Amino acid sequence: MKTAPQSKLSSTLCLLILVSASPVFAQSHADRIDELEAKTLAMAEELAVLRAELEKERQAPDSEDMQSIRAESVAARQAAQNAEIAANEWKNSNSVTHLAGYASADYVSPENGNAAFVANFNPMFHFQFKDRILWEAEIEVQIEENGDTNMALEYSSIDLFLNNNMVLLAGKFLSPIGNFRQNMHPSWINKLPSAPPGFGHDGAAPLAEVGVQLRGGIRVGEQSKMTYAGFIGNGPKLEGEDGEIHGIDTDGFTGDPDDEKVFGGRVSLLPFPKFEFAVSGAFGDAAVVENDGVDFEGDPTRDYKVFGVDASYQWNNLDLRSEFIRQDIADEQTSIAPEGGIWETWYVQGAYKFADAKWEGVARYTDYTSPHADKSQEQWALGVNYLLAPSAMLKFAYESNTGLVGESTDDDRWLVQIAYGY
Amino acid sequence: MKKQLLPIIAFALVSVASGTGLALSQSSAVAAESPTTNQFDPMQFARGAKAWANNCTRCHNMRDPKELRDDQWRAAMMHMRVRAGLTAAETEDILIFLQGSN
Ligand code: HEC
Repeated sequence: MKTAPQSKLSSTLCLLILVSASPVFAQSHADRIDELEAKTLAMAEELAVLRAELEKERQAPDSEDMQSIRAESVAARQAAQNAEIAANEWKNSNSVTHLAGYASADYVSPENGNAAFVANFNPMFHFQFKDRILWEAEIEVQIEENGDTNMALEYSSIDLFLNNNMVLLAGKFLSPIGNFRQNMHPSWINKLPSAPPGFGHDGAAPLAEVGVQLRGGIRVGEQSKMTYAGFIGNGPKLEGEDGEIHGIDTDGFTGDPDDEKVFGGRVSLLPFPKFEFAVSGAFGDAAVVENDGVDFEGDPTRDYKVFGVDASYQWNNLDLRSEFIRQDIADEQTSIAPEGGIWETWYVQGAYKFADAKWEGVARYTDYTSPHADKSQEQWALGVNYLLAPSAMLKFAYESNTGLVGESTDDDRWLVQIAYGY
Repeated sequence: MKKQLLPIIAFALVSVASGTGLALSQSSAVAAESPTTNQFDPMQFARGAKAWANNCTRCHNMRDPKELRDDQWRAAMMHMRVRAGLTAAETEDILIFLQGSN
């Protein structure tokens, strides 16, 4: 019974609180909603104002600052594009010019005679249009014993690239007969400081030709290929001396006194890479046009024939090559130099690179037979080369020569050469 | 008579050959006009590397791809195409290899 009045009191109190508190609560809740609504409305208004301003801004012309910033960025983009095009111009141009060539400085010390320094250089020019035309030319500049500078146009030909397998050359070109004259004679390529006997002037191997040449290569299966070269040219001139043919001049001439063109060519087979076997030859007429050092006219023409075989093989650091060439002039009884003759030479060469391919040892044997005993020569040449770069080397060599006693062809020689191809 | 005829016949043969040659080469020449702008083709690069290894030590020491610039290689490779009896296709492959390795 004691609890009854107490609980009555507490429930009355609760009721009182509730009754008095509820209108206050209801009141503040509604206020807040109003407040929020007002705020939202205000924000919406503000947003509309901002939007309108933004739109006005957008439509309004740029300020000067803004305009200049925009212009600058467009200009910068354009400049970058132009710079990129300009940077690639050299790569994408239709024509290319290229200067190449080689130079050498020698020291030659013969057994009998004076040792001397020798210098020459051979600049080479390439002008190319797309991949259709190449003009290639080489000038040979040599300083003679008396100090004169001797200059010769070694070759100058315009090469037209006809298709995958054909190139047509016109002008003066290195004789495609054999391999040494066209591919081995530059000093940075030749592994010895001297050319093998019979491969120089008035020798057994033709040097150059003025005419036209068609050449190229054909793939035969996966591994093998063949290359070919065929030419028509003015041919050689003969030099007479004391009623004999002194030599066959094959420098390449723009005149043709015998009025008969020379036809020739070379075919090579590469049954597998780095092994080449080739046969070459030429035929035509020649005539004596110089006798005892003076021009000579009216000598009859006579048959001229060339035959050559060459082979080369590379395996790792080993390089082997060999070549045989023979030029043949027929007899002609009514000539000022009636007797013809055979100029014949052959060589075999082996070279081996060692010590990280920095050094190379070379041995070459040559046997050259000329109708003139004082020109014939048998030679052993031994050399050691130090390779400064793939196309720059220092060569030390010794030649053991056997010729007519008392002639320079019989003198052994020491040779030192520095050669650089660029 | 015979003397004069031989060169003429030979010239005629050469011109016929070059005539067909020029016609044939037209399409391939256009395709290969500026090799440097061609899309890089890894197969061509690989073919070029192989052809380079097989051909470029036959006559002289192997020249380093880094020796020359891309444009210089264009001229040097055209020159070597003539010297070494390379086909146009081999030449282009080797050029791509050299230009990608310098
Ligand atoms: C058939 C022989 C031969 C082969 C094969 C050959 N070269 Fe040459 N190369 C030469 C000769 C010869 C010269 C020097 C030309 C001259 O002095 O007239 C030369 C010169 C060069 C030069 C100097 C620049 C120039 O154009 O003369 C470069 C670079 C060169 N070769 C790179 C190559 C590359 C790369 C290859 C492989 C595709 C190659 N060679 C294959 C014979 C060859």
